Amino acid sequence: MTAPDAARKYDLGFARWVRDNVDGGDKLSMCMQCGVCSGSCPIGTQMDYGPRKLFMMIRAGMKEEVMTSNTMWSCTSCYRCVVRCPRGVPVTYILQDLAAKSVELGYANPNDNTRFSKSFWWSAKTWGRTDERLVTARYYFSFGLKEGMRRSLDNLKIAYCMIKAGRMHLGMPHKVKDKKGLQAILKKAAEIEQRESGS
Amino acid sequence: MAATEKKQAVYLCEGCGISDAISLDELEQAVTGEMRVPLCRRIDACCGEDGLAQIKKDIDKGEVTQAIIAACSPRVMCEEFDALGAQVIRANLREQVIWSQPAGDENTQMLATDHVRMAVAKAAKTEKPAAHGPGASSMKLLVVGGGVTGLSAAREASKTGADVVLVEKTGELGGWAGKWSKHIPYASPYRGLQENPLPDLIKEVMGDKAITVKTNTTVARTEGGPGEFAVQLQNGKGDEWDVFGAIVVATGWRPYDTAKLEPLGYGSSPHIVTDIEFEDILSAGLSKKTKKKKSLDVVAFVIPGGADRMPYSSGVSDRVAIKQALQVVEAVPGAMVYVIYEDLRAHGTAEEFYREAQEAGVVFQKGEVISISSDLTVTVRDDLLGGEVPMSGIDMVVISTGMVPNSTDIDREPSQSGADQLKDDIDPRVPITFSGKLVNGGNGAEPDKAADDDEPALPGGPILNLQYRQGPHIPILANGFADSHYICFPYETRRTGIYTCGPVRRAMTVGEARQDAQGAVLKAIQAMRAADESLAVHPRSGDLSYPKINHDICTKCRRCTVECPFGAIDEDPDGRPHINFSRCRRCGTCMGACPVRTITFDNYNPQMVADMIGAVEVPDEFAEKPRILVLACENDAYPALDMAGINRRQLSPYLRIIPVRCLGSVTMLWISTALEKGFDGVMLMGCKSGDDYQCHFIKGSGIAEERMSSVGETLKSMMLEEDRVVMEEVSIADSVRAPQVLNEFADKIGAMPPNPFKGF
Ligand code: SF4
Ligand code: SF4
Ligand code: SF4
Ligand code: SF4
Repeated sequence: MTAPDAARKYDLGFARWVRDNVDGGDKLSMCMQCGVCSGSCPIGTQMDYGPRKLFMMIRAGMKEEVMTSNTMWSCTSCYRCVVRCPRGVPVTYILQDLAAKSVELGYANPNDNTRFSKSFWWSAKTWGRTDERLVTARYYFSFGLKEGMRRSLDNLKIAYCMIKAGRMHLGMPHKVKDKKGLQAILKKAAEIEQRESGS
Repeated sequence: MAATEKKQAVYLCEGCGISDAISLDELEQAVTGEMRVPLCRRIDACCGEDGLAQIKKDIDKGEVTQAIIAACSPRVMCEEFDALGAQVIRANLREQVIWSQPAGDENTQMLATDHVRMAVAKAAKTEKPAAHGPGASSMKLLVVGGGVTGLSAAREASKTGADVVLVEKTGELGGWAGKWSKHIPYASPYRGLQENPLPDLIKEVMGDKAITVKTNTTVARTEGGPGEFAVQLQNGKGDEWDVFGAIVVATGWRPYDTAKLEPLGYGSSPHIVTDIEFEDILSAGLSKKTKKKKSLDVVAFVIPGGADRMPYSSGVSDRVAIKQALQVVEAVPGAMVYVIYEDLRAHGTAEEFYREAQEAGVVFQKGEVISISSDLTVTVRDDLLGGEVPMSGIDMVVISTGMVPNSTDIDREPSQSGADQLKDDIDPRVPITFSGKLVNGGNGAEPDKAADDDEPALPGGPILNLQYRQGPHIPILANGFADSHYICFPYETRRTGIYTCGPVRRAMTVGEARQDAQGAVLKAIQAMRAADESLAVHPRSGDLSYPKINHDICTKCRRCTVECPFGAIDEDPDGRPHINFSRCRRCGTCMGACPVRTITFDNYNPQMVADMIGAVEVPDEFAEKPRILVLACENDAYPALDMAGINRRQLSPYLRIIPVRCLGSVTMLWISTALEKGFDGVMLMGCKSGDDYQCHFIKGSGIAEERMSSVGETLKSMMLEEDRVVMEEVSIADSVRAPQVLNEFADKIGAMPPNPFKGF
């Protein structure tokens, strides 16, 4: 019998917190640990823990490990798990919101996944589109100037091939027509979020 | 023996393809020739209108008192032939000859002729059974136990018109279930919590004029048998005697011993309670009282696994955990409720209940509970979690326990020593004892109860205090539950006329217990009616025959008394066996036990079967046609072989199959007759014995197995190979396997040298 690992941080209140604060968390009690979600997930093998295991860890109060895992960051939002879950657990929503919460609470700063997500989000909110060059560049240079240069040079050949194949364009970034409208939408969304989490 | 002269006739059926597969001309010649039956008729179809009329004409003219019908299996067309008026003896030419043998074969013809020879020999030694005397006719039912099962039983019996006396040990009706505020769903849609049904049930019983309720009352003594149980009831004020037709035992359960939960952590904090203790907390009202003392914000229900759990599980306590978790969620808004389980047994409609709890927010956490500390940290181990995880911050831990059957009255002093209990026929797994000595390990089971002779095997005293030679207790099976046949007849107790129901025979919920009570009451009513007409009950329902003892020959050896699976035989003051007919199930185990073969039935006796065996024609050793005797239990093995015939499965033509009431009725005489006659092998085919027995007479096949264990010596002394006589267990569903087993045995015997006794 191994002694409980003191390095782990257990907090039984975590399950309640997830239930009360995470989008879809109130449905977590429906999970019957069948594993259909993890088995269906195309990224499952790349995740630290599949959704099923992550949910069990939430119930057991393994806050630290859940919040620092890459599971929610690896999710591609393909919704296979949601479609297949026999108990109607909104797996994808729960993972998405856990990702957001892990940033909010400072668990996920900064790591590979968050850096990429931030670059992605920067592009999306600035242009209303993702620009392969700018997202990648921003992501690379978030590691510092020197590391950014190194990564850029390392991938130059791939970039060249992509341009040749027409998978990456040159010139000005694509953008949405009504950038002002986009900004208004985002502002409104932020307001709603503020209001809901603040209440 | 015969009161009137026997007049026999053989009717050979030409229907069902019998006349195509065998030569009825030859058979007819054999009947009137060597078998010396003067009257033999060939009938187009014995069961048809014309056929029945022809037979009936002979009988009505007084020419025939025994009709030997060589046609289909004795298991079919019984009503048609019994209605003819004469005693009917059947030769199974259809299922076990033409349907399981090639047509037109010499061996098939020999087999058919032997079947008729056996039937003719049987006719000479069988009589139409007459009743043993007037029946016992009390139709009043005694129900012991005033909990949900007993109350339901009383009501159900009263609805059928019976008078009922219900006795309850305590001063109150309702039992455990009566105390609880909410119940596991017992009615469709089996989802939410249900109201306690007990108050209404108690009201119904109290308002029922046919039911007499006696609280603070126990049973001091029980004598007699079905239709005539003389019962001494005891309360604070004194005793009274009453007569009952049957008894329903609904003594319920008691909680699991909490001392066994101490290693897990029970007792280390007042906030670690059992599910039964938690019921009190729930009844007191959660939101108010308990909250003042201790907030119930986080509650964990622990369903222990492994060594902490009872040796059996029924899923009842799992459902109780679900129920209580739901009650907490409903009473304390926002509470976090966990059910921690290793296996969650929520079968049948309980799946709906489980889902209901999940939807209400109860969190089911899988894991083995390693320990519960005094600060209410529950340490859980699970492979998926990668080791042990402490769950802390819990306000109350509720441990699931379980139901211990009240198959004895623990408030009574044990009335016997362990050694005396061992001598009684209480537990079908404990081998037969004879004169207080273990005969052998029987049924392959270790005689675990013999470990300490003075330590009583059962706690407490007997509930009914039966004045039976086989002891005062109701027989038990594994883990102290009242013995019951788990597939075919769950309420039978091996004490005819006494039926157990509710948690005394299997852990169950209120809904299940109410249904169980219905079943037991119906059996009890059947038993009373059968006793009234001197008939047997299950499994030989309606049988009039009964065992007769010739006391001039009896040596008072007591074997019959000891081996009767139903405690039907007592001893009179002179030590002679006395059979209580209304308790007797007509299995014939006593007949198989009697060393001087003086127990007989009118239509079934040692000489009858021995003569049947003797009637078989055994070819000499040069014919290379071995003969194998099969004594097949008529409850399962024989029907399985009939079914094999119906499906046209081929049987070795060398088998001679004789149905027996139970393997327990097989006497060694039959085996020795067969071997002396020149049979090359003998197989006993019966039901499974042991812990999960399927024997219809519970111990019959186990007893046969034990008797057979000494057969090897006998064979050796006859200079015969030991494996010429074997026993096989089959079930009624074995219509594929049973013929295979027989054919393999026939091959094996065929490969041995012939029995040297042939031709002597
Ligand atoms: S598929 Fe649904 S029920 Fe099954 S493990 Fe995943 S979340 Fe739980
Ligand atoms: S939505 Fe995410 S977690 Fe679900 S299957 Fe797709 S990638 Fe996996
Ligand atoms: S026939 Fe069976 S039940 Fe009846 S006395 Fe004999 S052994 Fe007992
Ligand atoms: S077994 Fe036979 S000899 Fe022995 S007591 Fe019974 S009837 Fe008598």
